[in-house]
Amino acid sequence: MLYDIKRKLWYSFCRPGSLLNGVLIASALEVPVRVVAMILAGGEGTRLTVLSEKRAKPSVPFAGKFRIIDFPLSNCVNSGIFDVAVLTQYRPHSMNAHIGNGKPWDLDRSNGGVQLLQPYQGRRDESWYKGTADAVYQNINYIRERRADLVVLLSGDHIYKMDYAAMIEFHQRNRAELTVAVMNVALDETDRFGILTVDEHDRVVEFTEKPKNRDKGTLANMGIYVFNAEALVARLSGGGEGNPRIDFGKHIIPSMIGDGNVFAYPFEGYWVDVGTIQSYWETSMDLLDPSNTLNLSDPNWVIHTRSEERAPAKIGPQARVTRSMVCNGCVVRGTVDRSVLSPGVYISPGAIVRDSVVMNDTWIGPGAVLDKVIVDKNVIVGAGVRLGYGDDMSPNRQQGDKLTTGITVVGKGAHIPAGITIGRNVLINADRDEDHFPKDEIKSGETV
Amino acid sequence: MPRTLALILAGGESPALSILTALRSEAAVPFAGKFRIVDFTLSNCVNSGIYNVGVLTQYRPRSLHEHIGVGKSWDLDRRIGGVRVLHPYLTAEGGDWQKGNADALRANLDFIAESPTDVVLVLAGDHIYKMDYRPMLRLHEERDADITVAVHSVSPHETHRFGIVTVEPDGTVSQFEEKPRRTRSTMASMGIYAFRKSFLTEILTSGNGTNIGRDLMPRLIKQTHVVAHQFQGYWADVGTVQAYYEANMALLVETPALDLFDPDWVIHTKSEERPAAEIGPQARVEGNLLCDGCRINGSVTRSVISPGVVIAEGAIVRDSIILTDTVIEAGAVIDRCILDKGVRVGAGALVGDGEDNTPNQQSPDLLNTGLTLVGRGAEIPAGATIGRNVVIRPRVGSKTFDKTLAVPSGRTVGG
Repeated sequence: MLYDIKRKLWYSFCRPGSLLNGVLIASALEVPVRVVAMILAGGEGTRLTVLSEKRAKPSVPFAGKFRIIDFPLSNCVNSGIFDVAVLTQYRPHSMNAHIGNGKPWDLDRSNGGVQLLQPYQGRRDESWYKGTADAVYQNINYIRERRADLVVLLSGDHIYKMDYAAMIEFHQRNRAELTVAVMNVALDETDRFGILTVDEHDRVVEFTEKPKNRDKGTLANMGIYVFNAEALVARLSGGGEGNPRIDFGKHIIPSMIGDGNVFAYPFEGYWVDVGTIQSYWETSMDLLDPSNTLNLSDPNWVIHTRSEERAPAKIGPQARVTRSMVCNGCVVRGTVDRSVLSPGVYISPGAIVRDSVVMNDTWIGPGAVLDKVIVDKNVIVGAGVRLGYGDDMSPNRQQGDKLTTGITVVGKGAHIPAGITIGRNVLINADRDEDHFPKDEIKSGETV
Repeated sequence: MPRTLALILAGGESPALSILTALRSEAAVPFAGKFRIVDFTLSNCVNSGIYNVGVLTQYRPRSLHEHIGVGKSWDLDRRIGGVRVLHPYLTAEGGDWQKGNADALRANLDFIAESPTDVVLVLAGDHIYKMDYRPMLRLHEERDADITVAVHSVSPHETHRFGIVTVEPDGTVSQFEEKPRRTRSTMASMGIYAFRKSFLTEILTSGNGTNIGRDLMPRLIKQTHVVAHQFQGYWADVGTVQAYYEANMALLVETPALDLFDPDWVIHTKSEERPAAEIGPQARVEGNLLCDGCRINGSVTRSVISPGVVIAEGAIVRDSIILTDTVIEAGAVIDRCILDKGVRVGAGALVGDGEDNTPNQQSPDLLNTGLTLVGRGAEIPAGATIGRNVVIRPRVGSKTFDKTLAVPSGRTVGG
């Protein structure tokens, strides 16, 4: 009871315009606030082609043993947020299995913990999520029931380590309604991001989605938000005709900036949106560079995941492994250079794997050569197969906008028969077997 | 299968493991990089469908207790049954440390009595093996035995290390000799016994023998119905430094007798969350086991590398076992060594150096094959030269070494 009164009191202090001196603010901050995190994990991620065909983008494997969503989930628990909702929609099966009851993140709790929120049928306009804001709106009761003061809204498909507690403190200090995390990007990249223009107090004055002009500054929206729950609920409930509430980036954020109490929280550190095949591959290769700044072995900021119990990786006497990440359960008898091997990958004697990402339990046959390939789980690459072969860089003919840089992608469970040669920018869909490979050669740019 | 309570004996001191058991019980000694020895017995239990397990501890139990926790890793965090850690305690009549495995069982008679079980399966916490206990328990039930002993054939040269049984053609045991000098049989007791619960309670309350193999079994063979169950698979008692080293090295061959990759018989352990092993541009890795979280930029051959081990550029590790979070700095050479957890080897240090194979002066029987042991958290200063059969005790600081930084073969460093 007393606690509730204190909380209400604190809440009134934090209203903009409250007359309050600095000392009082500091002591008011001692009262705990209830924070919930909502992770948007419903997106299809079409630009990741077959990697996200059978799973939602946030559950795409990354750095061998992790999945992309492990990063925001671990950031939550490492920041002390143990009330987490994951909003799913597109092919949630693999993510549901991955998150389960939240055990790996200590989110299997009797009070709070992790909750998966899927679209449901209701008596009003509940249906499939039409956009990010609509997804949160349809689950507005979650925010109400958890009696949240603050909502941390996150995207499930970014790779980064961030202490949300510091951002929340920033939010409280500014008595903001909404705080948007931003990072500096190169001036010539600003047209890929939503750019925020701020005044000298970090208050956001303008938001421009993918600006053509270079005069809006270089602070890019990272898609990480802290909302006052009351303001968020009010804005979402108040939507309707002429005031749409489908998408945060398009509708909610711009209109809240108009109300003038939005701040930008500057983030410095590693952050990447692995939304395309190219950026997925580049980010994976970055991990192998000794100078990369995403330290996965930091004991103070562990990235948690659901690990299967596997034996240590076994490196055969003839193996050569350099510049690579190798997970438990791998058996390496061939040559691996600058590659990421997920748990349970088998590399036969004489096989060569270069500049590639190979996912769980894939089998690479004797003498096979892989060059700049992303191979999904449970693939069988027959003996002597050449995958990613030759200098022909013709872009993929079906997905010309996605596969142009020479990366060949093999979908989950495909079986590539022995002796075949496959070029670059090739897309091999999931579950293809011998019958789908009538010829001994698949030229660059083709799709199987 | 009868209702079964498994009791794992994990209290022993095992002095023959030297520095490995200086700060932990044998059951908690790391094995194959990421496992601990007790994981094999615990995983055998759950893989055999036994979810009612007690672990009996006494000697330095902290790391074992922490490892087992509530048993989550083995799905033994259950409402009915599950894993219980049973430690010696004081009673109104005083109390005493347990003097042997039978004594340990006797101290837990009340726990056995309360447990809703037909059979008490007594297991050793310090053996490496994968065994389905169900056939043995079925045999025990079919033959209506008082005791069923698991037996394994051993080489005639090794019989003096084991309890040796003589098995009649009908499968009953007619003789049990504990560590005999000379014997005709080569069937060794594996230290795995299935007891009818009422029978176990009776013999423990009526007698006062402290050790099952030494005091109880030879006498009981004559009086009761004891049956042998022969186990064929891989089984190793890693109770000495040499046996421990060899069992680890045996995992590095092409097709090891102990298959850790079997998806139908997973060995579970409490894994820390670590990222994938990172192998750097200068690394050479050949014939190893590498665990998640290790970072290698040196040359590593025929070695077992545990989680979090860092091997810097130019360092060479050969035929060695390196335990968790040990750091080997640039240019150091490690040859035929066992380095415990959290050891730091300074740049350019040579550990296991030279041809001099003088046995260890303090324990010549134990350390005479050239293995050098470095205890937990020890620091070896940069540029040191350490011979063979050397023991560096846990937490020895770099200041303990004299100015020459040389430790000849056979020495022991630290009190």
